[in-house]
Amino acid sequence: MRGGIVAAAAALVMLVAVAPAQDVAAQNAGGGQQTAPKGDAKAGQQLYASIGCWECHGSQAQGGAVTGPRLAHTALPFAAVLQQLRVPQNAMPPYEPASVSDEDVANIYAWLESLPAPQSAASIPLLNQ
Amino acid sequence: MSKRKDASGVGRRGFLKGAALAGAATTVAAPLGAIAQPLPPKRLKAPQGVSAIQKAAETGKPAQIANLPQGAADLVAATAGSDFMVDAYKSLGIEYIASMPGSSFRGLQESFINYGKNTSPEWLTTLHEEISVAMAQGYAKVEGKPMLNLVHATVGLQHASMAIYNAYADRVPICLITANVADATLRRPGVEVDHTVQDGAIIVRDYTKWDDNPGGLQHFGESVVRSYQITMTPPMGPTLIVADSSLQEDPIPEDAKLSLPKLPRFAPAVGDSGAVAELAKMLVDAENPVIMADRGVPGPNGVLNHLVELAEALQCPVVDIGARMNFPTQHALNQSDRRGALLSQADLVVGLDVTDLYGVTHAYRDQLHRTSRPMLKPGTKVVHMTAADQFIRSNYQNFQRFTDVSFEISGDSAATLPFLLEAVKKALPNDKKAAFEARGKKLAEARQASYKGAQNEAASGWDITPISTARLTMELWNAIKNEDYSLVNATQPGGYWSHKLWKMDKYYHYLGDSGAFGVGYGGGGAVGSALANRKHGRLSVSIMGDGDLMVSPSSLWTAAKHKIPIMMVVHNNRYYFQEVMHLQAMAERHMRDPKTANVGTEIANPNIDFAKMAGSFGVEGFTVTDPAKLGGVLQQAVAIAKRGEPVLVGVVSQGR
Repeated sequence: MRGGIVAAAAALVMLVAVAPAQDVAAQNAGGGQQTAPKGDAKAGQQLYASIGCWECHGSQAQGGAVTGPRLAHTALPFAAVLQQLRVPQNAMPPYEPASVSDEDVANIYAWLESLPAPQSAASIPLLNQ
Repeated sequence: MSKRKDASGVGRRGFLKGAALAGAATTVAAPLGAIAQPLPPKRLKAPQGVSAIQKAAETGKPAQIANLPQGAADLVAATAGSDFMVDAYKSLGIEYIASMPGSSFRGLQESFINYGKNTSPEWLTTLHEEISVAMAQGYAKVEGKPMLNLVHATVGLQHASMAIYNAYADRVPICLITANVADATLRRPGVEVDHTVQDGAIIVRDYTKWDDNPGGLQHFGESVVRSYQITMTPPMGPTLIVADSSLQEDPIPEDAKLSLPKLPRFAPAVGDSGAVAELAKMLVDAENPVIMADRGVPGPNGVLNHLVELAEALQCPVVDIGARMNFPTQHALNQSDRRGALLSQADLVVGLDVTDLYGVTHAYRDQLHRTSRPMLKPGTKVVHMTAADQFIRSNYQNFQRFTDVSFEISGDSAATLPFLLEAVKKALPNDKKAAFEARGKKLAEARQASYKGAQNEAASGWDITPISTARLTMELWNAIKNEDYSLVNATQPGGYWSHKLWKMDKYYHYLGDSGAFGVGYGGGGAVGSALANRKHGRLSVSIMGDGDLMVSPSSLWTAAKHKIPIMMVVHNNRYYFQEVMHLQAMAERHMRDPKTANVGTEIANPNIDFAKMAGSFGVEGFTVTDPAKLGGVLQQAVAIAKRGEPVLVGVVSQGR
């Protein structure tokens, strides 16, 4: 049984690798709300942790190996994030308004935007060996 | 052969010594009957159709036993059938036995240790049969040949069964023995009756290549050699022999005419020469060919030996699916990161022993309505070269979904590649050279871009705590990059980052996965691989999942007990992480509380102190929570492993 679960997860990993979430979200962003509603970053940080975003995207939204792209300091428009949450185009679970309201998403988005830009790989010696 | 001086077995030990030196590919066919001369007083011939114990009672004793007080002589014997069984295994050059003791094979265990002098094979103690078999799997991935596992009748085999399934799915060779007391009238009351069975091998028959239950010693010897031949023939897989207790423990009958057959030299099946020539032409003619390599034979004889030359001749991209170290990670033609893009444009896909060809050529969407779509464009030709189709069992479905293949070439891919390479070289027209070079140049550029992307991806969250998996993997690389290293196994993120950013170009630089993803392979597998690497002077490292290690933590004790140097770096994310993601997905799918995914998946509160746990097994352990301190601790760990000791570094890490 354990092996079956892992194998199923491996399939999930493959799909995510083929169709990165940000690409799909960006494709679906057109026509949606382009301006993010004002959100509460602190509440968003708590929500990000409690509803499980961290599982695939990392505790600091840095991204996970295979499972989910970096979301910290995201360049994605709010509408794209909302669209991907509601109707994910890959294997990401759908987050319906009953569990995550638009206001919740706005708070999470505010926190993601507040995070620092990624460190340059060139500045890290271990990544330049 | 010298004649036996008395019944103490001196003469037979001489035979044994010769057999032990002979190795696996050498003849060991001296008939024991010719060595064992009848000794006075004349023995009674064991009557047919009675139990082995009766045979022993009716068979005379050698002088040293005959001089014992009345009654005592009937309680001892100078030979045992298990001695001959040991001869059989020694004749194959098997180096090690990993085993948790079990009374059902007490005769064999005693013979391996005393009669066989506990060398070739040497007895290694484990604390769980699952670890025994995982060790053999890990060993086989390095050496490309089997070691031996003895597992207790019924309950021991039940413990071992998941690990046997892993090894079967991973297509690695292992020789297994379990035991039984077939004759119900000889069973000791109580426990031994619980530990006997009508068909000792049945519970693992679905995932072993062959088993046997020999009724006599000559039969046993022949089955040992057969089991070795079968386990080593691609597709490789475990074989099992049931050793009856009476056959083990009773004296060798005086009139026994025993001999061990030769282990033949054997060559794996290669693809049909006409089919290989046709494939060569297809590869030369293709505009956008892609080669995918996965789970060929383990060890030094894998596809890596010829795949580089083939890819370079064609300037063809290679996607390493990753069950073995199939292609150098830093080679310009290693396009493993670009599988989706390459497959979407491919006009020819060639799979080399791909475990799940359907899975890697389709995109799968795990939503309420599960769907998949082909990643290949219509008309793409798919050729699969594999030995796996030569041995398929029905019940366990690890053969995966049936794939629409244009051309199946049955044969071991590693053994066939030299012929394919030769055929490609013959088929290469000069006017294609420029086109091939241009293709190679484009691929090299794409590879470079992909590498830079991986560097940037790894930089994200570099300084955060819990420590990022990229930081963990790259700090480890920094500590071992100047060593002759072997990454014996890795969690999914560890494998992900190491394949993107480490320089791997030898088959032992990465030894692949567990096969069937049965959790608990990691500890035993790592120790088994490290055991094999020890004699080559390699530094064995593992990126171990916390959940996986907790299934088989006592593998650390075995490493300490037998001085097996393994550097275990525990990717401690304090979860069964795959499962927490699955549970999260189910909660969202069912529009229920998403905040409960930790229930039943969390390995925290209390947190496991892996350093303390290692210490309790006699293994030095460290815990790291600060990314800035990780590099220094890993350097210390390398020094300990290079001294020949196991060491554990628990790294509190991100989930993925």
